[in-house]
Amino acid sequence: MRSDIPDNDKIKVRLFAILREMVGEREITITVPAGITVNHLNNEILNKYPQLKSFSNKFIISVNCKVTTGDTIITSKDEIALLPPVSGG
Amino acid sequence: MISITNKHLSLQEVMRQLEDSSAGALSIFIGNVRNRGRSGNVSEIYYEAYHEMAEDKMKEIENEAQTKWAIKKLVTIHRIGNLKAGETSIIIGVSSEHRHEAFEACKYIINNVKTRVPIWKKEISKESQKWADGNLLE
Repeated sequence: MRSDIPDNDKIKVRLFAILREMVGEREITITVPAGITVNHLNNEILNKYPQLKSFSNKFIISVNCKVTTGDTIITSKDEIALLPPVSGG
Repeated sequence: MISITNKHLSLQEVMRQLEDSSAGALSIFIGNVRNRGRSGNVSEIYYEAYHEMAEDKMKEIENEAQTKWAIKKLVTIHRIGNLKAGETSIIIGVSSEHRHEAFEACKYIINNVKTRVPIWKKEISKESQKWADGNLLE
């Protein structure tokens, strides 16, 4: 294997509420180059699931149960989730 | 003490958990499913949680309340699943030496649970089902 080609990472992403219904899955797997950022993952998700594009400014991506910045680097070991606006209580 | 459960919420059980002979005040907030929503009549609400993160956030909010006010005991319980109109979705209980702390902490916790905890609700009627508008987490 050439060392200059990064390995791919399979990122599992949990979906909740309206996003789960829009995609029809509780969890999706996105194959991406290793060392991907949250922003990059977001783009990959929207490419694979274009039905989410109209909702793209209405969800955030959490990493290990925390809201993070778009430049955070993630791996397949992280717990990733797409979270629409919350409405508990 | 925080909890997310799909079981019926018991006010009596919350009161028992708040018992403290040094507390002269006990403030309780009870949130029930209303039979009217933004889009009309509501027969039930489906609540869904990102369980692990929701528990973390509820603990964080309770810790903040304990830092801000002198509190004896705290209970925050949220029910998830399908709840009919009139059923209780959340109970928050605070005990403290005097009433001011209990009132303020109770208000702080419910306001923050509604905007910072990853729980979602879908209003269901005979005619339609609609996810409630809410706040993006920050």
